[in-house]
Amino acid sequence: MELRPAEVTSILEKEIEQYKGETAMQSIGTVLSVGDGVARVYGLDDCVMNELLEFPNGVRGVALNLEEDNVGCVLLGDATKVKEGDTVRSTGRVISVPTGEQLLGRVVNALGDPIDGKGPLGTSTSDLRPIESAAPSVVEREPVKEPLQTGIKAIDAMIPIGRGQRELIIGDRQTGKTALCIDTIINQKTTAGGDPKHPEQVICIYVAVGQKQSTIVDVQRRLEAAGAMPYTIIVAASANDEASMQYLACYAGVAMGERFRDEGRHVVIFYDDLYKQALAYRQVMLLLRRPPGREAFPGDVFNLHSRLLERAAKISRDAPKINPRYKQGGGSITALPIVETQEGDVAAYIPTNVISITDGQIFLESALFNAGIKPAVNAGISVSRVGGSAQIAAMKKIAGGLRLGLASYRALAAFAQFGSDLDKATLQELTRGERLTEILKQGQYVPMPVEQQIQIIYVATAGHLDDVPARRVSEVEKAFLRAMSEQHPEVAEEIKKTKNVSDGARAALDQVIAAVKVQLGTSTTQPAAKAQPKSKA
Amino acid sequence: MIVDPVTARWAGALYGLAQRKGVLAAVVRDVERLGAEVARPQVQRVLLNPRIDLETRRGAVAPALGGAHELTRNFVALAFDRGRVEVLTGLSTAFRRRILEDAGEVEGVIETARPLPPAEIERAAAEFGRVLGKKLRLANRVDPALVGGARITAMNRMLDGSVTGRLEALKRRLLQAPLPG
Repeated sequence: MELRPAEVTSILEKEIEQYKGETAMQSIGTVLSVGDGVARVYGLDDCVMNELLEFPNGVRGVALNLEEDNVGCVLLGDATKVKEGDTVRSTGRVISVPTGEQLLGRVVNALGDPIDGKGPLGTSTSDLRPIESAAPSVVEREPVKEPLQTGIKAIDAMIPIGRGQRELIIGDRQTGKTALCIDTIINQKTTAGGDPKHPEQVICIYVAVGQKQSTIVDVQRRLEAAGAMPYTIIVAASANDEASMQYLACYAGVAMGERFRDEGRHVVIFYDDLYKQALAYRQVMLLLRRPPGREAFPGDVFNLHSRLLERAAKISRDAPKINPRYKQGGGSITALPIVETQEGDVAAYIPTNVISITDGQIFLESALFNAGIKPAVNAGISVSRVGGSAQIAAMKKIAGGLRLGLASYRALAAFAQFGSDLDKATLQELTRGERLTEILKQGQYVPMPVEQQIQIIYVATAGHLDDVPARRVSEVEKAFLRAMSEQHPEVAEEIKKTKNVSDGARAALDQVIAAVKVQLGTSTTQPAAKAQPKSKA
Repeated sequence: MIVDPVTARWAGALYGLAQRKGVLAAVVRDVERLGAEVARPQVQRVLLNPRIDLETRRGAVAPALGGAHELTRNFVALAFDRGRVEVLTGLSTAFRRRILEDAGEVEGVIETARPLPPAEIERAAAEFGRVLGKKLRLANRVDPALVGGARITAMNRMLDGSVTGRLEALKRRLLQAPLPG
């Protein structure tokens, strides 16, 4: 960054003008011991929990253990610059991060300092918010009812996510958990064209905990390429950051989101991932000598996640009347935490904790992933406890058939492996199930608007694809959606506006799919398919 | 100097007992003599070394106990029996703090760039003591690095009125100030 001398002079002028000769009394302490990123400090009598402490050489710390004769704190910086006997000053404020619109499009660390080389944020002290704050109370909330479209057919149709919901994304490594987040972020562009100033635009916050720096750069590049960065904040605590930064990053991210929520905006926050956060927390707490419990995690590891996820909420329209903290009601924070499992073990300690906290989970399975079903969502055991209230009416109506079709397909597919003689009805269900599975496949970084999702799911559940060979379903899907947007753009508009599918629209869908099948020669039942090469010639 | 809670508790017990028996003056004198002896590196090396047998270690502090009050002698013997020899090292500091506490006094340090006349130290002690609500006893320490002004430290509180301290504060504020534009 270029340093402009005039700017520094102007700051100096302001500082000199406002300089007050008085000196305030400070609470101080002495470093007793330091190591492994934690320090014990003697003194600091009136230190409070989570207070930011200043060590020499610009190193900062957070007070976490207030004991009889000393204060245990984690260092948020280079621990090698702190030595025994150093003087520690208390700052009188709990650890806070900058918030506001200037953060959009930026990559910041757990303290809100920019790390993307694009210069300082230019925040004032009034933008600072403590990273730990109480979750909205019962009276300030309202039930989740607006949909948050992820743009992923399998999720929006069967495991709908509502604004203000907490939906866990769980799966082994390399099953597409992060890809799901990126797709969801990209799809939020459809809410208001990606204009960060627009009140309807959903703000995205991606918190990377313990990730490889290369992964974080990759996510940033992908979002930039898709034009999704202007409404996104990346809070990064990579694998080489201190454990304290890694566990605090999630709270920093949600504090930034709460600013937007309190202004009546909608926010979706991704914690990638909470298992690594728990590991970082375990490390810090063991070094602070807190007693270990199961799997050596401290006793409050459940609260670590529950207090974080409780801050996701849908705020009621009347909230400003109850609590002046809300400038405008109706805002929301949707939390999509990720938990990585080992060998598909969802019954491990941290996964079960987070499953019990969230309002549902999306299971990603390596077996499905390896079988080429991407996104590898296991529709059987994935649930959303908010359900249909987070779907638009049209999707609710049409996706019902999809769920049932897939459920009976899974039951029959297990049987069909043994016998070869199957009756017609069973065969019919198997064919349908195969086609449904096919249309739920979706490429990476290509989220689909909900209007298009409804169209293709309608076609599949109505049986129009039953006579298309399974391997050609995606080809037909593409051609069909193209034909729909060219010949009948009013259908998508209608669904968008009325949130419903009228009989007229159904007729248009039926007609276009029949024409597309004929055109591609995929229909096996209609003679017109054979006639097609002739017409081409 | 830092007094750990164990030493403070042991010292408190001896102090309270001596006070009730009316032999505080004698015990205080003993403790001061013992503290001076224990502070010597040769003695400390023997006293705190677990590889040296207990009798030799007891012997190391014996010269300081010659003519000591019975309570002091019992105290040292008990510390050895209970395996708490380390309380002897901080004993005199803990005692002094206890005496000051009873008198409503605290010790502090006033750091200046050049030596201060006693009258000024007295004035600073009176002013700062009023804020703390205690009678303050200040010792003057000279530190040329402060350039000017004074820095008072007492009861884990610091009042930094030195030139260096103010420059540091200005530096911190400037580093945090937002750039315009």
